[in-house]
Amino acid sequence: MTADDRIIDTREITKIFPGGVVALDRFTLAVQRGEVVVVIGPSGSGKSTFLRCLNGLEEIDDGSIVIDGIPLDHHRKNRLLIRQEVGMVFQSFNLFPHMSVRENIDLAQVRVRKKTPAEAAETTMALLTKVGITEKADRYPHELSGGQQQRVAIARALAMSPKVMLFDEATSALDPEMIGEVLEVMRTLAAEGMTMVVVTHEMGFAREAGDRVVFMEAGRIVEEGETERFFDNPRQERTKAFLSQIL
Amino acid sequence: MDAYSHRIAALRRRAFIDFGKFLLLAGLAVWLLTMATRSLGYQWQWYRVPRFLFSTSGGVWTAGPLIEGLLVTLEISAISLLCTVALGLTTALFRLSASFTARALARGYLELIRNTPLLIQIFFVYFVLSPVLDIGAFASAVLALSLFEGAYAAEILRAGIVSLHREQWEAAHSLGLGAFDTYRDVILPQAIRRVLPPLAGQAISLIKDSSLVSTIAIYDLTMQGQKIVAETFLAFEIWFTVAAIYLVMTFGLSLIVRMMEHRMNGAPLRGIGGIA
Repeated sequence: MTADDRIIDTREITKIFPGGVVALDRFTLAVQRGEVVVVIGPSGSGKSTFLRCLNGLEEIDDGSIVIDGIPLDHHRKNRLLIRQEVGMVFQSFNLFPHMSVRENIDLAQVRVRKKTPAEAAETTMALLTKVGITEKADRYPHELSGGQQQRVAIARALAMSPKVMLFDEATSALDPEMIGEVLEVMRTLAAEGMTMVVVTHEMGFAREAGDRVVFMEAGRIVEEGETERFFDNPRQERTKAFLSQIL
Repeated sequence: MDAYSHRIAALRRRAFIDFGKFLLLAGLAVWLLTMATRSLGYQWQWYRVPRFLFSTSGGVWTAGPLIEGLLVTLEISAISLLCTVALGLTTALFRLSASFTARALARGYLELIRNTPLLIQIFFVYFVLSPVLDIGAFASAVLALSLFEGAYAAEILRAGIVSLHREQWEAAHSLGLGAFDTYRDVILPQAIRRVLPPLAGQAISLIKDSSLVSTIAIYDLTMQGQKIVAETFLAFEIWFTVAAIYLVMTFGLSLIVRMMEHRMNGAPLRGIGGIA
C-alpha cells in the first residue's frame, strides 16, 4: 500500500456515553481502500463503539469522520449516503424475523437501491450462492442455525454493494462449530479486496486475513501495526500482556 | 395393569368429573334464570320480536328496524375503525417522535380523551364542533368514536413498537433504509403482529361504544331498539335481542381476528431481535 487512498478517515473522535463513560478518547484512525483492519482489545475498550460511530449508529461528541469523501455530520442526507456505502454485520445477526431469507436480502436493494424485484432477486441468489446457503432462500431466520443466520446477514449487507464492511464481533455469539463457516466467508471477502474493519477475538483470522491490527484500550489506540509485525513482535508491554492472555 | 392404561384411566376419570362440573354449572344458570323470571312476573312475548327483524309481504323479505339499525351500526363502526387505526398510528408515531411539538400534541390529545367520558365527547363534537366543521350527525359520530378509540389504539401500538429490540432499528438503519421504510417494512409489521389481540379488543369496544351515538339522533341498532321499546313496551325481549345482535357482531370479529392470528403464526415470530 503505497498511495494514500483513505476510504475511512477519522480524526480525534470522542464519544462520551450518558453517565460520563468515555468510550472513545480522541481516537484517530485511517483505513485505506482495500485494507483489512482488525481491531482487538479487552471488552469495554471502545471497539464496538468505534464501528458504530462509523455508520452513524452512535453520534460522536467531538472530532470528524469522513467516509469515501462524505463527511458524517448532522446532515441526515450524508448519514443516509454513508450508510448505503457501509455494510455492517452485528454480533446478534439482527435479521428481520418476519421476512424470509430472500426478503431480508431483497429489502434494501428494492427500497434503497431502487432495483426492480427481478434485478434484486438475481443479486440475492448470487449472494446466497456466495455465502453457500441457496437452499434456505425461502426459510425464515428462526429456522436457520446461528452460522447460517450470520451468513445471511453478511449477504444482506453485501446486497447494497457497500464500499466498506464493518464486522462487530460477528462470530462471538456462535457455537464453536459454526464459527469456521462465517470466518470462511469473511476470508473470501478479504481476498476479493473488500475494505473491512473487523472487531474480533479470532486471532487466527486476524493473522491470516488482516493487513493491519489495532489494539485499543480505554478508547485509545495502544498499539497498531502490520499484522505479522504486530503478532510476532509487539512493542508495548500492554499489548504483550493482552496477547499472552488471549493466544 | 401397566402405567399406560393407568394414565388412560386417570384421564378418563378426570374428563368425567369435568363434564359433571359443567352440567352442574349449566343447571345452576338455568335455575337462576327461571327464578328471576318468575319473581319478575313478566309476561314474555318473544313471538312479537321477529317482525322487528324481518317482515314479509307477498313473498318479499324486507329488513325490519333492528336490521336497519344494525346496518347503520356496522357502517359507523367500520368507518370509525379505519379512522381509529390511522389516528392511533399517527399518534403513536408522534409520541415516539424526536419533535417536542409532536410529542406534546400527542400527549395532550391522549390525556384529554382518556380522562373524559365518551358520552360528553360525543355531545361536544355534535353540539360544539359540528357547526364549526359543518358536518352532520353521522360524521360527528364517526369523528367522536375515532378520536376516542384512537387514543387507546395509539397506546397499544406504541407499546408494540417499543417492545421491539433496538437492534431491529439498527439493522434497518445500517442498510441505509430511511425512517419511513424502516417503519413500513421492519418495525410496524412486527409491532402490529405483537399487539393484534389488544387491538382486536379495542375494535370490539368500538362496536359496543358505538351504541352511545344513539344519543345524537342516529338511528343505529341501539336507537332502533329504544324506539321499539317505547312503542311496544317489549323492554326485555327487544333489549335482549339487541344485545344478542351485538354479541354476534363482536364474537364474529373475535373469530376473524383469531383466524388472522393463526395465519400470521404460520410465519414465525419467535426469536425476534434476539440471538437465536
